[in-house]
Amino acid sequence: MSEQPFIQINDLHHNYLRDTPLEVTALRGVTMEIYKGESVGIIGRTGAGKSTVVQHFNGLIRPVQPGKVVVDGQDMSDPKVDVRRVRQKIGLVFQYPEQQLFERLVGDDIAFGPKKLGMEQADRRERVKWAMEMVGLDFDAFKDRFTFSLSGGEMRKAALAGVLALRPEMLILDESTSGVDPRSRSELLERLLTLHNEHGLTLAFVSPNMEDMAGLVDRIYVMDEGRVVMSGTTREIFSQPDKLRAHGLGVPQVTEVAHGLIARGVRVRRIPVTVEEGVEEAWKILNS
Amino acid sequence: MTSPASSTSWDPIIKIEGLHFHYNPQSEHPIHAITGIDLEIYPGDYLVIVGHNGSGKSTLAKNINVLLKPTEGNVWVKGLNTRDSANTLAIRSAVGMVFQIPDNQIVATIVEQDVAFGPENLGVPRSELHERVEWALGVVDMLEHRHRPPHRLSAGQKQRVAIAGVMAMKPEILVLDEATSMLDPEGREDVLAAVRQLNEEGVTVIAITHFMHEAAEGNRVIVMEAGKVVMEGTPREVFSHVEELRALQLDVPQTTEMAYRLNQRDPTFPPDLLLVDEVADEIQRRTNGSGGA
Repeated sequence: MSEQPFIQINDLHHNYLRDTPLEVTALRGVTMEIYKGESVGIIGRTGAGKSTVVQHFNGLIRPVQPGKVVVDGQDMSDPKVDVRRVRQKIGLVFQYPEQQLFERLVGDDIAFGPKKLGMEQADRRERVKWAMEMVGLDFDAFKDRFTFSLSGGEMRKAALAGVLALRPEMLILDESTSGVDPRSRSELLERLLTLHNEHGLTLAFVSPNMEDMAGLVDRIYVMDEGRVVMSGTTREIFSQPDKLRAHGLGVPQVTEVAHGLIARGVRVRRIPVTVEEGVEEAWKILNS
Repeated sequence: MTSPASSTSWDPIIKIEGLHFHYNPQSEHPIHAITGIDLEIYPGDYLVIVGHNGSGKSTLAKNINVLLKPTEGNVWVKGLNTRDSANTLAIRSAVGMVFQIPDNQIVATIVEQDVAFGPENLGVPRSELHERVEWALGVVDMLEHRHRPPHRLSAGQKQRVAIAGVMAMKPEILVLDEATSMLDPEGREDVLAAVRQLNEEGVTVIAITHFMHEAAEGNRVIVMEAGKVVMEGTPREVFSHVEELRALQLDVPQTTEMAYRLNQRDPTFPPDLLLVDEVADEIQRRTNGSGGA
């Protein structure tokens, strides 16, 4: 971790449709920091303000309302900020991949970013191949497929490949894996974790599901009603199921089993957050 | 593996026979999305369809409400063949469909108008229309947002509006194509409770989902792979086949996985537990015997 945060957000406010009768408050003073090389989860029920916050990370929303956003040392409220450079460093994959696909063929769509960067044809091909491998789309089988003929899950993979093809330093997944089947999803996340572990890719995961965070992130920010309401290490957050429930969130079934055992008077030493941990803890309990 | 527990004496409400479906059948590279399905769905069934991306789940669903017509084989809904265009309207009013992405399903600029759109077009009288809209918005817990523009709602809120819009048409069959995948746990629980209630009132439910613990809601589960039905049974039956499901790139609910792995270490531990309380009860029962810690 470097001393200066990669993303620093201070007391950020944001209202949509400001000064109209339809004005909606999305953020009411959010403070968070993400350092280079971290893997952070942002979790909260729908409407909590998660997407609004992360869209500040890469300058999709500029801070024109109270609050400060500093990305990679640059104050994002400064109109002279080179937003293109920021977006190349910080890739954002949205919830709805079809909004992020616009070329006719899958291969062309993924090559779009590298092409804009002026990459040579041959390098581009390698880059596209690499990105498709990363998300688990077979290069030969999918490069010439029509983007509109893809299934929902395949579209999500293609959109992610298009962002990865830019080799960003940070990747934000805004519920981008909902609708991807569980196996492809865990394969995909494993590859991203490899990039994170071996190449220092900074990761931010946005999701309403605590299951998505287990084994994936070091730290979690819980948001509700436009505020950060809980923050801490993944295990700290998981060990407070009642508080999570009050914010409209659940915990994974294995964690629920552990809390169920505690309620039944059984001693649980360590609250499990993954199935592996759940099995180990249960085994210890059964053999104690 | 099993026939539906509830209503075997009834005629199926949906009958699928020898179904094949190819996208772009005339082109050089047709995609064989459905490669031979025979399936009967009975009134009151809650059928859950699981399978990895591209296994043909959505294509199957679209063949049920005539968004797609069979390349080969037949689909009957309430005895009406989907191939006959004269049946399309009747079938669509019997089958309400909720998709994964609510934006594609929302038409009006105000929430309550959007929910009223379907029943209004079915000619529901004004007084009842009001009642239905209120009921449907109440079921999905969106009453307080009834005057807001849908595009300003969050994804999960929009999905609840879309579901309310379909429910307001009072369909006999409700098809949910990954309809909860964009919702938060609370929103998902609200929707599942609503669907459960509709099912108890007699609505036949067909739900496609990736959330394995959601599959436990149904009385039947089918598993799809490469356009075919490869496993069928009650949730407990299907999920007890952990290895086969894994080979099909699917997971099982965490509780079942936990029980299964404990069973591998200690064969006396039951491998087919499905609910959180079942697992907790089983562990507690066993620790009581040995004095616990």
